[in-house]
Amino acid sequence: MIKVENVDKYFGKLHVLKNVDFHVDPGEVVCVIGPSGSGKSTLLRCLNHLERITNGKIYIGGELVDYRENDRDKMVIEHEKVVAMCGELGMVFQRFNLFPHKTAVENLMLAPMTVKKIDKATAREKAMDLLKMVGLSDKADEYPVRLSGGQQQRVAIARALAMEPKIMLFDEPTSALDPELVGEVLAVMKKLALSGMTMMVVTHEMGFAREVASRVVFMDEGVILEEAPPNEFFGNPKNERLKSFLKKMI
Amino acid sequence: MNINQIKMFASGTLTTLELTLVSMFIGTMLGLVLALGRISKIKAINRIVWTYVWFFRGTPLLLQIMIVYYGVPLILKDIFGRATALPMFIAGCLALILNTGAYLAEIFRAGIESIDKGQMEAAKALGMSYRQAMFKVIIPQTIKRLIPPYSNEFTMILKDSSLVSVIGLTELARQANQLANGTGNWVFLFYAAGVYLFLTTISTVIFNKLEKRYSVYL
Ligand SMILES: Nc1ncnc2c1ncn2[C@@H]1O[C@H](COP(=O)(O)OP(=O)(O)OP(=O)(O)O)[C@@H](O)[C@H]1O
Ligand SMILES: [Mg+2]
Repeated sequence: MIKVENVDKYFGKLHVLKNVDFHVDPGEVVCVIGPSGSGKSTLLRCLNHLERITNGKIYIGGELVDYRENDRDKMVIEHEKVVAMCGELGMVFQRFNLFPHKTAVENLMLAPMTVKKIDKATAREKAMDLLKMVGLSDKADEYPVRLSGGQQQRVAIARALAMEPKIMLFDEPTSALDPELVGEVLAVMKKLALSGMTMMVVTHEMGFAREVASRVVFMDEGVILEEAPPNEFFGNPKNERLKSFLKKMI
Repeated sequence: MNINQIKMFASGTLTTLELTLVSMFIGTMLGLVLALGRISKIKAINRIVWTYVWFFRGTPLLLQIMIVYYGVPLILKDIFGRATALPMFIAGCLALILNTGAYLAEIFRAGIESIDKGQMEAAKALGMSYRQAMFKVIIPQTIKRLIPPYSNEFTMILKDSSLVSVIGLTELARQANQLANGTGNWVFLFYAAGVYLFLTTISTVIFNKLEKRYSVYL
């Protein structure tokens, strides 16, 4: 579903991703953990072109969507392909990034109507279904400022789903939330995982990773140091840095 | 005031209003285009717009009006050997448009740049193009914060439209001055002041109302 080959990413001189090889299979839920600044967000952002890689190849759904060497494109990416690719990837941000000038339901309707030219009535119907799925039918006509952080993040998840992505990317979706609001967001994500959605989740929620992930990946200083199913990952970690990281987390 | 004087006064007021509304309407579109050029990643466009804004904000509006009305025909004459002057009203509007465009460009640019970067990213992650994101997500969010400085610029142009009297266009200030001189009665000048105050106050009230209406989501 996602395949990343020999990817390097530099910010100026700062080497943030170091020859990363990585893949996510259909239906998998991959959790990525690692210390702050290790490049987890950057990896996610490179997948949907919010950042461009310096070297390497990225495949989405079997299609080569990015191939660069020394910051230069080695292939011509047609605009349609980028749009199609973004359609396959939904993204949920740490700070929600809801559109504040739109109500919850309008937040869900905007992209389908603008990008896919879906008519308003259909978009609204679909949006209401999704709000129901995240348990927020009664908040459809509220503006984001009137919602709690947990509710905003659930709207943000529904908004990404409104574009019918095949893969959902989550960048620390619960880190900006008060502890008592984390549960409701994780519950929605778990529901999504159980429905068979392919997911890649950067998170510090070890409980979630343990329970929901099919595979857990440890990243440090731009390198993937360990990947394993959760039992093995948490029960029998091999890498020393992972061991000390896990100790600190508990 | 006799009926004739009232008519002249009304026509001067109308000209001032026309100058203001036309200039602000077209100037707003120009300002938006310039603002987008100013934040564009293309260096050349950026430079051109910067220079434009630098020129029109750094020179007096009065001089700009003279350049458009008197200067341009002379320039054309030097180049093509034939001088064609713009009609007075058009020249006046054009100068005001070029000027307010530069001021509005800076106002709009600041507005766009004040929007959180996450908004553009969210829009892009949903598959929107830069253009779609700009017009559906970013610019609508700037409107509320733009209303106060825009209202300010509107008032400036309403008052500064009096400067076009220098090219002989009889708007409110010039009309009042002519009446005062003709009759020897200074009260006409204060009638004009009254009309300006009325118009600036009304426009401020309207913009304040608009701002309140856009406050729902804050
Ligand atoms: N746009 C940018 N320009 C320059 N440096 C950046 C940029 N974005 C990230 N970095 C740097 O790249 C490194 C990796 O950042 P990244 O956000 O991917 O880390 P992270 O693993 O997501 O950390 P966190 O857990 O704090 O979110 C950091 O050193 C960061 O300062
Ligand atoms: Mg991060």
